[in-house]
Amino acid sequence: MDWVFLSELAINGALTGLLYSLFAIGLVLVYKASSVPNLAQGGLTMVGAYVVLALARDLGMPLWLAIPLAAVVMFGLGFGIERVALRRLAGRPVVMILMLTLGLDIFLRGTTLAISGGTSRSMELGVSYEPLLLGDIFISRIHLVGAGVALALFVAFIVFFRTRTGIKLRAIADDYMASWSVGISVERGVGLSWALASVVAVAAGVIWGEIQGVDQALSLLLLKGLTVAVLGGLDSILGAIVAGIILGVIENVGAEFLDPLVGGGSRELIVAAVLILTVMIRPHGLFGRHDIERV
Amino acid sequence: MQEKAQGQSILSMNSIEVLYDNVMLAIKGVSVQVPKGGMVALLGSNGAGKSTTLKAISGLLKAERGHISRGEIKFDGTDITEMLAQKRVEMGICHVIEGRRVFEHLTPDENLTAAAPMGMSRSELSVQKDKIYDYFPRLAERRNSQAGYLSGGEQQMLAIGRALVTQPSLLMLDEPSLGLAPFLVAEIFGILQKINREEGLSVLLVEQNALAALEIVSEGYLIENGRVVMHGTAEALKSNSDIQEFYLGGGEGTNFHNVKHYSRRKRWLS
Amino acid sequence: MFYRLSGVYHSSLISDSRMFKVPADRNLAVFLLLIGLAAPFILPSLYLNSYILPWLIWTAAALGLNLVTGWAGQLHLGYAAVMAVGAYSAIHTVRLGVPWEIALIIGGLAASVIGSLFAFAALRVKGLYLALTTLAMQFVMDWVLTHSPTISGGSHSSLQAPTLALLGQQITSDAGYYYVALGWCVLVTIFMLNLKRTGLGRALVAVREKDFAAAILGVNSFYYKILAFAASSFIAGVSGALLVATFYFLAAPEQFSVNVSIQVLAMVIVGGLGSIIGSYFGVALILLVPGLVNGLVVTASEELGMQVNVETLAHIPNAVYGALIVIILMIEPLGLGKLYGNIRDYLMTWPFDQLRK
Repeated sequence: MDWVFLSELAINGALTGLLYSLFAIGLVLVYKASSVPNLAQGGLTMVGAYVVLALARDLGMPLWLAIPLAAVVMFGLGFGIERVALRRLAGRPVVMILMLTLGLDIFLRGTTLAISGGTSRSMELGVSYEPLLLGDIFISRIHLVGAGVALALFVAFIVFFRTRTGIKLRAIADDYMASWSVGISVERGVGLSWALASVVAVAAGVIWGEIQGVDQALSLLLLKGLTVAVLGGLDSILGAIVAGIILGVIENVGAEFLDPLVGGGSRELIVAAVLILTVMIRPHGLFGRHDIERV
Repeated sequence: MQEKAQGQSILSMNSIEVLYDNVMLAIKGVSVQVPKGGMVALLGSNGAGKSTTLKAISGLLKAERGHISRGEIKFDGTDITEMLAQKRVEMGICHVIEGRRVFEHLTPDENLTAAAPMGMSRSELSVQKDKIYDYFPRLAERRNSQAGYLSGGEQQMLAIGRALVTQPSLLMLDEPSLGLAPFLVAEIFGILQKINREEGLSVLLVEQNALAALEIVSEGYLIENGRVVMHGTAEALKSNSDIQEFYLGGGEGTNFHNVKHYSRRKRWLS
Repeated sequence: MFYRLSGVYHSSLISDSRMFKVPADRNLAVFLLLIGLAAPFILPSLYLNSYILPWLIWTAAALGLNLVTGWAGQLHLGYAAVMAVGAYSAIHTVRLGVPWEIALIIGGLAASVIGSLFAFAALRVKGLYLALTTLAMQFVMDWVLTHSPTISGGSHSSLQAPTLALLGQQITSDAGYYYVALGWCVLVTIFMLNLKRTGLGRALVAVREKDFAAAILGVNSFYYKILAFAASSFIAGVSGALLVATFYFLAAPEQFSVNVSIQVLAMVIVGGLGSIIGSYFGVALILLVPGLVNGLVVTASEELGMQVNVETLAHIPNAVYGALIVIILMIEPLGLGKLYGNIRDYLMTWPFDQLRK
């Protein structure tokens, strides 16, 4: 057994995993604040990346300005999504809300591609492609940057959910009716959660866009993001981070051993298997809330 | 008398009609007055329209696809018939909904924080919290455990405490005694009376448990089939023979020889 | 006016449990069936085979999903994978020399067996978690399909379907394909119409509404969930096989990818959960309207002399498809079937209800 090789796999897996977490935080935010599955996060991530590109390339802004501005635009888009679509379905069965977010995802993807075309574009963040050497282990710089962003967001949101606004959002997720009864604006709360998820989508879009190019493949992160979110427990930010690392390591190390056996491409299989096993064995994930049932 | 009541009432609700889903007429012209600093009970059997009346006042009808199709509600002289639920809470109406729905995954402390108005300062909030813990010492003991695991009585106290954080001038409670042991009901009602006395908070109480309710309120309304069929002081209601028979379990007792008699007597209700 | 009724009043259980409770509905159904039978003589075969035929087969498939999602209330995001099982097993069976009739049934049964695996997820979780599990299972099936050349047909990952032959008759004409599709769709529709009237249908509805309450009533929700998945998977399998045999002619994994699963679910939900007529509308909307809009955009841009980017054109149908789902859910969350129901209920008593008021 080659330990250096194995730890390189594990470390790079963990870093990639943190990038999945970056995506999954968007799912968790919406679920934590409204108990609604956000299956449009793939579409949002794609839109986020395209908005950054549109501002930077087509309007010629520098990236340091384009990214925050894109975050502002997406913040508005998130509020808009709640205002236009979700508000009318508040309190409806989960099937319909699930379908609505899937429809949104398809719509966002289709519209973005209709406007910008399907050819892959590059983000060009200016992060060097030269790998970092840590002892004998090669580490990609952009992955390191992305992992840092994920951890920073993690800390920010942990703090946020302890503030009064954050507690109100968690209250909304618990009980819409009770929230209304004490004067919490459920609509604004849900809108805020989508707005924050859209801002997270910009971060994920920029980092992933730098890694694999800005095209429709960005929306395919949804399965991995979902797996991370479910494994962590759909409403736990800490869960999203830990589960991201776990999934990244399992995927990277597992693929190394499985690929030769099945002739390549076993990553998706591993991810799907983790998702199925999680739901079957521990549906509330590592840190998710157990639903309290009183009889 | 009506004129006089209007002058000093904090809430006046005039011939309100509520439609659910545009088809089901749940209440048909209910008028209720709550005097400033008074305690009023709405009595009636299941499905009579008591909860709907409260929801019409608090604005929670919209969440259940209901709306007020006629009449007007005035709170402190302001027309609130079309106002958003959230605005009404800001004005000082708070509704403790049926079934003590606390935020289960939050601690009692966080439950109180969640209900705090955005404008309330941190120090003000902690003063409010201390006051509530004073009223409900049981909550103070368990302020940092998960609310979902509190006992039924504690959850009801938390629900009331949570409503008090919004600093209401009218507190509406929907069946606070539901599923609680009699001594707990007495404890909670006692605390309500205390708050009413000390802070001048007006209370509108919906109860099945007419006996307990009539002990603490000053006047009551009897609602049947979406209409007010009787209104009077607590004393008058308690001594009314129909009320005794139908709601207080008094009178001749449940004698099935009187079934015919019962249906005849209840006719005034519809 | 249209229904000549002043309301639906049944005076016996028998009249209440008829398939068509209102005579006008039965007449309408017969009339539509006659049009369906006459369609090859009326419509040009281009329209018949590129629009009407897929519409019919997808409707049959959507009805199958409606059985499990609309009736039994189990979310299913892996339906296309089940269709793939049916399609591939049927084609491989025919290639072994088995007649199509038997191959279709084998395809359906194979799909039933695999589809019942999804039911085991449903026994453990429901709602969102079931949706995610079935989604993951879809990915696993996709992976198996693309990574096993023996199933998917070698290096090009495509499998030629042998010529369809039923009752000893080779079917090669456009009208022939159409009648096969029509027959299957009618069969499934009749099955679903009757399901409502049987104990099975009622048991499924009971499981959907509250599974443990159903259990108290003596409905074995375990058994009925598996039965619902098996029956719907059978319909999926045969529909998948017929889709390849009469429309694609060449089976490829992309035809049964996760996007297709989402599409079928969209058809069912946009049509209305539990609504049979709704599934017809839902499929028509999701399958045909995006293409129509695209056609309109092309014509409009030509009329106006504007140049529309080819790539833009390629992605417009997708944007329209997503927008349709969102818009219909916003207008009427219970779907097109409910909208139709509202209009029908209004017309049912019109103009007599005006007199009653």
